[in-house]
Amino acid sequence: MSNSGKPVLELRGVSKQYSGGVKAVREVSLSLGEGKLLALTGTSGCGKTTLLKLINRLEEPSGGSVVYEGADVRQFDAFRLRRQIGWVMQGDGLFPHFTVRQNIAVVPRLLEWDIATTELCVRKMMQLVQLDVEEFGGRYPHELSGGQRQRVGFARALAGKPDLVLMDEAFSALDPLTRDDLQRDFKRLQSELGFSAVLVTHDMAEALILADEIAVMRDGQIVQSGTPSQLLAAPADDYVSGLLDTPRRQMRAIAELGG
Amino acid sequence: MNENLAERLNELPDLLSGHVLLSLSAILVGLAISLPLGVFAAPRKRFAAAVLNIAGVIQTIPGLALLALMVPLLGGTIGYAPAFMALMLYSILPILRNTVVGLQGVEPGVVEAARGLGLTQKQRLWQIELPLALPVIVAGVRTSIVWVVGAATLATPVGAPSLGNYIFAGLQTRNWLSVLFGCLFAAGLAVVLDQLIRLLEVAARDRRKMLAVQVGALLSALVVASVLPRFVEFTPPAQPQISQQFASVRAEEGALDDEIVRLGAKAFTEQYILAELMEQVLVDAGAEVERLDNLGSIIAFDALRNNEIDAYIDYTGTIWATVMARDEPINRHAMFVEMAAYLREEHGILTLGRMGFENAYGFAMRADQAEALGIRSLADLAVHAGALEVGGDAEVFTRSEWINTRDAYGLGAISTRAMDATFMYDAVRDGQVDVISAYTTDGRIAAYDLVVLADPRGILPPYDAVILLSPEAAERPGLADALAGLVGSISDDDMREANRLADLERQTPQQAASWLYEQVTE
Repeated sequence: MSNSGKPVLELRGVSKQYSGGVKAVREVSLSLGEGKLLALTGTSGCGKTTLLKLINRLEEPSGGSVVYEGADVRQFDAFRLRRQIGWVMQGDGLFPHFTVRQNIAVVPRLLEWDIATTELCVRKMMQLVQLDVEEFGGRYPHELSGGQRQRVGFARALAGKPDLVLMDEAFSALDPLTRDDLQRDFKRLQSELGFSAVLVTHDMAEALILADEIAVMRDGQIVQSGTPSQLLAAPADDYVSGLLDTPRRQMRAIAELGG
Repeated sequence: MNENLAERLNELPDLLSGHVLLSLSAILVGLAISLPLGVFAAPRKRFAAAVLNIAGVIQTIPGLALLALMVPLLGGTIGYAPAFMALMLYSILPILRNTVVGLQGVEPGVVEAARGLGLTQKQRLWQIELPLALPVIVAGVRTSIVWVVGAATLATPVGAPSLGNYIFAGLQTRNWLSVLFGCLFAAGLAVVLDQLIRLLEVAARDRRKMLAVQVGALLSALVVASVLPRFVEFTPPAQPQISQQFASVRAEEGALDDEIVRLGAKAFTEQYILAELMEQVLVDAGAEVERLDNLGSIIAFDALRNNEIDAYIDYTGTIWATVMARDEPINRHAMFVEMAAYLREEHGILTLGRMGFENAYGFAMRADQAEALGIRSLADLAVHAGALEVGGDAEVFTRSEWINTRDAYGLGAISTRAMDATFMYDAVRDGQVDVISAYTTDGRIAAYDLVVLADPRGILPPYDAVILLSPEAAERPGLADALAGLVGSISDDDMREANRLADLERQTPQQAASWLYEQVTE
């Protein structure tokens, strides 16, 4: 595992067993370097979303430990921890009765920033995600397109100045063009702001394009982890090469068309 | 009619105020219970199902029955308390159900986003879940308001004044204007409250503080206007003055100065007239009279037993059957003596005496039809039983006197039809039924040319009108003295005529009572 600098996040033998006996996550160990993006990928039900929720204590592990900035997350107050870590979810999850401004200001308000600082932050975030403050600030989520809503979702996640952002299928519900746009904007944001991120996605192509590091999961376990080129060069087994096949075939087909 | 309308309007401040206070307090307390309960229940599926089932069962109890049930449940208390309890229970279901459904209907993604961003459970509830569920909850509150304001008209028979007084009194005296009056005001009140709540919701949703303040002011004004008549004395309409000097019936003037006397009355014309007569006698003696009209039969007795009213008129046969649970035949005078002794010993109630007339159940039919069929007594009915229909109030067919009469005269084949007592005289006159279980003092018997069938075997029990005083009132000699003049003062004919004046001549119970007062002071 290639790491630059001290890890922001470390998972040490983390397991999650539900009260029904189902083992969603089994002994997963991973680490995430500063400013890096880790993609968790695998088929549905492989445990990638549960693993993500263990990081900001939306779920509690039944074994092992999650270490964030050098301390076990259980030492944090769960609500404070979540306010400190950014959170973007599939289908935006915006509050329908809040305007764009109010949605973005949720975390600053929870952190009890003063009004001026909050307002400044909201403006800055809207500029970062390329939404015009005057035009969109007073609108409600139902008055926005899917892409605009997801941009607000990102702005809301980043408003509290997190150094770690968790994303659950953040791009999945968008049409391909909008998705491509947003993915590029996200990369730009990450390099500008320098936060680290964990992205859960079932789309291997997305993982290959965005991630510095990819962890492939099956049945709650890590099957293989490494950089995109390491995975492409040497898939660990048929499951991983199966997942890689689709983007590969598409690339080949496109390359052939281009001559 | 005009005089009638003026009198109705006179009562409006009191009745409207009673109605508004009763409904609003029931809804407010209902809200204070159902809203937190709904919030607690929403995330707990099984608990939610259980409480919704319980509330649902309460809702299926007919309003009138629920109100009446509250009286024995509260140990015989009448008036505001049982009405409030019943309406409060009634208001719970719509609010509870909509709170649970509204909260459960908040999109799970939104709730998860709130968790992920670090909102505490309390912050999620107040900032996200409740605001998003608000339209559904408000819809529940509005349903509840319309139900409760409507059902509050049923508070009248348990002794809580409401707009239902218009409806019940109007139904008994066949004053349709009064019924219409009560319905229109109750409906109007429901619509006004419903719209005020809708405006409050709009104000909350659009954050229009001015609108919220305005609606709040209107609601407060409504409450203040309703509370006001409780504290401000309205000049009562001038009592008809009777200036005869024959003092045998009239109590000594000033004997009851400034004493408050509470009189009860059941819900039919004769009772209104007799309560009015007692009131006139007592007012002449200097007492201040409070009235509780339209009480259910048993409720009136319970109210007397518990000293919630001081006096009312009942009938020996009614006490015999419903309070003493006896059904063996007994002669008129023996029944009176036994009943009086029983009431004094068991309940401390003083039977002041018999008024002189009897208002019994009797079976009546059209004179021409009776003649054509050769029917003179109940015994003659048996031959035609299969072809005849008997109409009667809802109570009579469950009473032993009907069952005994049917069995004694072999009337098993006769069909029965329950209806409100108001309608049965017209029904027999118009041939919609053949026989009715008439009240023998009803003015319509003579007016409609009906005959009361003889009871040769003496099955029908006697129904002497008696003046009953509560245990506490029995200890007030002035009160007993004042009313004692009425003992033995009213004949069957006088009572029938007074009833006729009210029922057929469209006189008010006050006017009929004044006529009666003149008769008894002569």
